[in-house]
Amino acid sequence: MLHFARFVAVRAGLAVMTLVLVSFIVFSLMELVPGDCAERYVAFKNSQGSVITPEDIQIERVRLGLDKPYIQRWGSWIINAFRGEFGDSCILRLNISQLLGQKFWLSLGLCLSALILAYIIAIPVGIIAATSKNATLNNSLRLVSYLGLALPNFLLALMIMLFSTVMYGDSLTGLFSKEFRDAAWSWARVWDFLGHAWLPVFILGWSATAFAIQTVRALMSDEVGKLYVTAAAARGVSGRQLLWRYPARHALGPIINSLGFDLNRIFNELPIVALILTLTEAGSLLIESLARSNDQQLAGAIIFMLTASIVGLNFITDVILAITDPRVRRSIMG
Amino acid sequence: MTDASTGTGNVDQKLKEAYFTASQGQLIWARFKKQKAAMVGAWVLIFLILSGLFAPFLTPYDPTISGRDKDYLNGAPQIPKFWDENGFSARPFIYTTTRERSIKTNFRWVSKTDREARRYVVMFPKGDPYKMFGMSFDRHLFGADVGYIHLFGTDSTGKDIFSRTFHAINTSMAVGTIGVLIAFVLALLIGGISGYFGGWIDSVLQMITDTVRTVPAIPLFMALAAFIPDTWSAEERFFFISIILGFIGWPTLARRVRTHLLTERNQEYVLAAQLCGASPPHIIRKHLLPSFTSYIIVDLVISFPYMVLSETALSFIGLGLKDPVNSLGVMLQNVTSADVLLNYQWYFIPVIFFITLVLAFVFVGDGLRDAADPYADTKK
Repeated sequence: MLHFARFVAVRAGLAVMTLVLVSFIVFSLMELVPGDCAERYVAFKNSQGSVITPEDIQIERVRLGLDKPYIQRWGSWIINAFRGEFGDSCILRLNISQLLGQKFWLSLGLCLSALILAYIIAIPVGIIAATSKNATLNNSLRLVSYLGLALPNFLLALMIMLFSTVMYGDSLTGLFSKEFRDAAWSWARVWDFLGHAWLPVFILGWSATAFAIQTVRALMSDEVGKLYVTAAAARGVSGRQLLWRYPARHALGPIINSLGFDLNRIFNELPIVALILTLTEAGSLLIESLARSNDQQLAGAIIFMLTASIVGLNFITDVILAITDPRVRRSIMG
Repeated sequence: MTDASTGTGNVDQKLKEAYFTASQGQLIWARFKKQKAAMVGAWVLIFLILSGLFAPFLTPYDPTISGRDKDYLNGAPQIPKFWDENGFSARPFIYTTTRERSIKTNFRWVSKTDREARRYVVMFPKGDPYKMFGMSFDRHLFGADVGYIHLFGTDSTGKDIFSRTFHAINTSMAVGTIGVLIAFVLALLIGGISGYFGGWIDSVLQMITDTVRTVPAIPLFMALAAFIPDTWSAEERFFFISIILGFIGWPTLARRVRTHLLTERNQEYVLAAQLCGASPPHIIRKHLLPSFTSYIIVDLVISFPYMVLSETALSFIGLGLKDPVNSLGVMLQNVTSADVLLNYQWYFIPVIFFITLVLAFVFVGDGLRDAADPYADTKK
């Protein structure tokens, strides 16, 4: 138990270190961007008709703490970030954690559901593809996974929109119906949400599924040929039991390990899919903060939180693997 | 009888000799040729690349605003016909469409197709001047004898979608090539150092690579691309976007280079070279890299479509390339509006070309990967 606790602690420490490094990268990139918050704010005021002098910009900089040295600002940013506090948005002048709050959890929920959907489909299908000798099945699965790679999520979203508009005259966009958009959470709203959310989940899961099927298939076909499977078959285990108890368990380890990167890939697609489907969550807020208003504070916060959830997932999968996989468990316990 | 048997023996011998003395490239090519899907992909790819390269000649009009057709905005594709109710013609023709705005049409623009006024397709007409391979031309493959012909229709400013599509292929290939090259150089440098030296250098570099891999690249680079000043010219933008794409791609490649080097550097031939006094850069360049050039090439081909797609995605949301430059992303920028979805579906025609392009790349990449694996035959 002590070993296990130490293992978890070390992993958690590593995760935090990764996050610190990530925050440094994100923060530096945001700093490299020409112009800072003070200038943007003042430029905004300027457009409202008040006359702005260079002194005003300087005053605003001091107020925002932008005159302090780089490392010091990064330090305070990262400490606040770990407390979930990202300061105010440059443009909107609103507290970022309030602004993001629910929207971020919605996005994360969508992405995680897409990930789960991908593996619910991919694990059985991949196992069947690896063990079946049926050429038609294998070829059609190959085709599907090729399409998954060649038809990226945002093109798929566009195609679905085109199709549904032409066929039904409804573009199936958004996360809520009009009457529920600003309503408080209730069962009706949840129901409405689910009615809208399946499409983004499906689209986000599309290429993830194709990718996952390929991974599962490759891992399974490596394992199926091994001697322990033959030995188990010789002992009289057969059919589904043979597959689930022996090779599938081995093949699942690397998959659990790579979940974090799958989530990364889904996050990559999120903003664009969100834009097409006009989802009102963090993805579109990110685009909003980037494309329209050059809001580096907000953009940095969103990217940091996305990365944090990937690092978090990596940490969780590490721990799960240590609990479920006896080989890993043994290596930890020494 | 004996002649025949020695004859076949000789052929066998020759085949064997050819097999054992074949270079790596010849072996890969021999295995690649056997895969039907990959070969089809390769032909399609060659065709698309060539049509991209020769786009200015193959397409009738300039893809920028200067080649626009003022009288045919948001026009439907015009499909050349050989006959209609007015009789047969050996030359394919299309109809003339005129736009009119008057009190009769309630002061709205209304287009009318005049089935009497035929426009014949002509080969090699003089058209918009263009530059190809440093020389100026003004002949195009085809055109209409009067006015314009739009095989894929036009967009809201009257630009010919057919011309734009082929120019876009060119742009995507260029962006992808530069992006892949940058990713490649970075990956070789970082993966090479990390794999060759091992030890703490490897640990530090791996930690950095892993961290970079955790950050969702596209949102991050969207953030960067968003801050490109508006004053930049289209060319500057183009190179900046290519560089960004290069930065998206390197970590995966660097990891593969490193893993390979880690296993190779303990081989005897490396030790021999070291004992002969070769310097590390020399060993990496002359001995280690050639040992897996084929894998690197395969990786490059596989990562190419992702570059193209990332560019499309960035341009699509308006953070990548901008208007005078043509790319699929630029062309798709406005298609999400209900107006386009309902009325102008031909905006989506270029998508077909791009899915074909990406699929061709995926097929070729897969085929190359199987062909470059010397154990591929024995595994199955």
